[in-house]
Amino acid sequence: MSDIKTLEMPKWGLSMEEGTLLQWLLKEGDSFAKGQEVCEIETSKIVNVFEAPFAGTLRRVLVGPGETVPVGAALGLAADPSVAEDELKAFTASLGGTPAVAEAAPASSTDKAQPAAKSPAAVPARSAQAPAPVSPVASGQTRIPASLQGDTEAGQVHATSRALRQAIRLGVDLGKVKGSGRDGRISVADLEAAIVAAGGQLAAPALPRRSDKAPRSAADDSQVPATPLARRLAAQLGINLHDCRASGSRGRVSREDVQAASLLRDGVPAAASNAAEASAVPDVENLPMSGMRRAIAARLQESKRNAPHFRLTVDLDLERLLALRKEVNAGLPGVKVSVNDLLVKACGQALVEVPDVNVQFDETAQSIRRFADADVSVAVALPTGLITPIVRAANRKSISAISAEIHALVTKAKAGTLKPEEFQGGTFSVSNLGMLGVRQFDAIINPPQGAILAIGAGEARAAVREGQLVVRQQLTVSLSCDHRVIDGALGARFLQALKRLVETPSLMLV
Amino acid sequence: MTETYDVLVIGGGPGGYVAAIRAAQLGLRTALVEKKHLGGICLNWGCIPTKAMLHGAEVANSIAHAGELGFSVGEVSFDLDKLVQFSRSVSKRLTGGVEYLLKKNGVTVIDGTARLSGKGEVAVIDAEDREQTYRADHVIIATGARPRPLPGITPDGERIWTYFEALLPRRLPKSLLIIGSGAIGVEFASLYSDLGSEVTLVELAGQILPVEDAEVSEVVRKSFERRGIRVLTKAQVTAVQMEGEGVRCQLQGPDGVQELVVEHVLSAAGVQPNIEGLGLEALGVELERGFVRTDAVCRTNVFGLYAIGDVAGPPCLAHKASHEGVICVESLAGVEGVHALRRDHVPGCTYARPQVASLGLTEAAARASGRALKIGKFAYQGNGKALASGEPEGFVKTIFDADSGELLGAHMVGAQVTEQIQGFGMAQALEATDESLLSVIFAHPTLSEAMHESVLAANGRALHQ
Repeated sequence: MSDIKTLEMPKWGLSMEEGTLLQWLLKEGDSFAKGQEVCEIETSKIVNVFEAPFAGTLRRVLVGPGETVPVGAALGLAADPSVAEDELKAFTASLGGTPAVAEAAPASSTDKAQPAAKSPAAVPARSAQAPAPVSPVASGQTRIPASLQGDTEAGQVHATSRALRQAIRLGVDLGKVKGSGRDGRISVADLEAAIVAAGGQLAAPALPRRSDKAPRSAADDSQVPATPLARRLAAQLGINLHDCRASGSRGRVSREDVQAASLLRDGVPAAASNAAEASAVPDVENLPMSGMRRAIAARLQESKRNAPHFRLTVDLDLERLLALRKEVNAGLPGVKVSVNDLLVKACGQALVEVPDVNVQFDETAQSIRRFADADVSVAVALPTGLITPIVRAANRKSISAISAEIHALVTKAKAGTLKPEEFQGGTFSVSNLGMLGVRQFDAIINPPQGAILAIGAGEARAAVREGQLVVRQQLTVSLSCDHRVIDGALGARFLQALKRLVETPSLMLV
Repeated sequence: MTETYDVLVIGGGPGGYVAAIRAAQLGLRTALVEKKHLGGICLNWGCIPTKAMLHGAEVANSIAHAGELGFSVGEVSFDLDKLVQFSRSVSKRLTGGVEYLLKKNGVTVIDGTARLSGKGEVAVIDAEDREQTYRADHVIIATGARPRPLPGITPDGERIWTYFEALLPRRLPKSLLIIGSGAIGVEFASLYSDLGSEVTLVELAGQILPVEDAEVSEVVRKSFERRGIRVLTKAQVTAVQMEGEGVRCQLQGPDGVQELVVEHVLSAAGVQPNIEGLGLEALGVELERGFVRTDAVCRTNVFGLYAIGDVAGPPCLAHKASHEGVICVESLAGVEGVHALRRDHVPGCTYARPQVASLGLTEAAARASGRALKIGKFAYQGNGKALASGEPEGFVKTIFDADSGELLGAHMVGAQVTEQIQGFGMAQALEATDESLLSVIFAHPTLSEAMHESVLAANGRALHQ
């Protein structure tokens, strides 16, 4: 038994209590080195790669993609190939509650997914609310097509320093890659595009990552003499005290030692490593991607790449909706309904009327999950990115309830206090740029959802009614649909239903 | 385009500025509108400047009693202006500190007078009469309160004072009549008496400091009377008349009507909320006894509108306002574990000589609740430190629920009790029982040993009485 080790959900910050496993980068049976990337984990704040704290062979995957488990829960078991299956089984059993916890977390969402799913058997219930099921193709292994393999001769190619380093790491001959930059300079993006174009694949999401990380010790460092400050800092930075010098008094690890170890692990400051690039393009600032940016980049790239988008646009006459809003807001002190609140309500109701738009696409299982209730994700812009808190069962809630809920969710999003269940999932999204004066735009689908509605600004426009030119308050909305699961006529039927509700808003009151 | 904020706070007192700082800390785009002075009454005309003046009174008292310790003090002169200047300089320094804290946390401070022009909409008129409208998802009213005028006794800033004038005396009044014996009235009575004025304190209720425990009130009354302060309870001023350099006051008390001529009258009969001109009526904001009605997390009945501090109802205390500011903001921002304000956890302090500090139920209220009680009381006379500092006056009383051991009330009167009450506050917040308090080791010699003895006494185990 002692030969079996657990890979546990790491704690990446004081506030981290649980994490969602996004994707395994290893298969059962794969051996890994200490420091090797094992899986991707999403917390409420970031998506990051979990690196093996020790070397071994992955024998058992205990937590599947999309499952959320608390910090410290076992994600998988590592053991020497010689360890028998029975021992693994016994060890798993001895973990007791852990796998149960892993299944309990998403269970709350399954009661919703199952009755509506077209073929429940094909849908792994536990992944029903997977925030971002990843493409099965991107199994995490990078494969370089033979046509590109080779050694790059430095000095012979015109490439950015990062692209050059990446090429050397991947064993790609940059001489075979075409650059799109100034004077044909090859960027990391060019390199990645070339690999994909030649039939290869990159660990997805293909995020630039430092390759020069020093391996990290995983041994218990509680006995390493260190100052209290150094110990806390080490915990915060994820530094093992074994990896630090001990320059403090009486051989203790000091704060500076931890900072030095952190620097060693994360590489020299960006300014130095990017010096070559910076000198070539002096007025460019290299901003590191925040966790949220990386998550947005990965998810929307996946959506745009995998989902064939088509868009349908309609104009909505707002006169009656605005009249209703005015009456409601003037009549009830406790209510302040916005046009957006009313549109979310209308979407909720239209989605129930046209349920085939109220779907998620499970790429892995190649099945469509259709939901009885409309959980509408509402895009909220933040200074650092955007997040989509969810109005659950918008079809069943009153306009004032939806309004109060969005009001609270938006502030929570800004304060960073949203709980994962408040922004993970959703069956449909709305994105509103009307307040910024945008007339019409197209949005990228929020995977695994099937469609998203892009809402423009309400404004007085010339319209023709009964042959007469009149001025009406109007607003343009565009529905982006994933053609794999929603066809044009179906999307149009949804917009018809939406238009009917918006232009006859009393239908939303009953 | 209209400026838009996540949170907009109206009023920069201890409720408003704390709420604004907390909101900014949580990453919310925050603005604070203040029409006069950041820091509000508390920092400018209340808690802080009175404490500075009382510090002067304390020194006067020390000088007066220096002889007991062997000092012979010659002719002592006193320049009231200097003390007032000291008080103002302390205020100024602290309000500057508030400005710095708001800036440091990224709160936008808007100078002007605010009015709610719609739900989530605030119009601000600046000193040049220009109006600017702001939008905010959440608007917090923290406009505070002001002295409540008594019918027929209109403060004129000359003869009839409110606390503003009492903090800026041009010269020491020979005689002063104070109407109302809440914390403000009692503190000014103590202050002016120590500085040498002849003080009369008039209270309508049956005891001075009407919200405090009866025994505590009695100690203060006796102490005041020993110092020559005239204390009249169950009495009221029915009429005032300007007369030369003084005010002729008609007093109605249990012993009938009497007249008294004094140099100044200080009206300190409570406060009333600042709700006028805010546009509350147009929005349909519900009131309760004149204050803005709020729920457990400071929400009004209007969408996105909140109220904290004095304007949201008593107790009208700075620390209650600050605490509500934090509750309000954390709740609207979705911070987990926000608890509603427990009124019985709000300490009340009066910085007179002797000081008064209390928490929770008075003995009378506890008895009226019908619970089985354990009550302990320990006098400062049995406390070494109190005797050594020449402050033998006062006691500590603790009231526990006999069954659960919960601390229901704590009442302290005497030297430095305002600095000690948080010991009981922590016990309450941590839901300590009498047993947990018994096991605490109190340092010797300290005044706080009386706290311990009081708890021991409640359990019939007092060691030093």
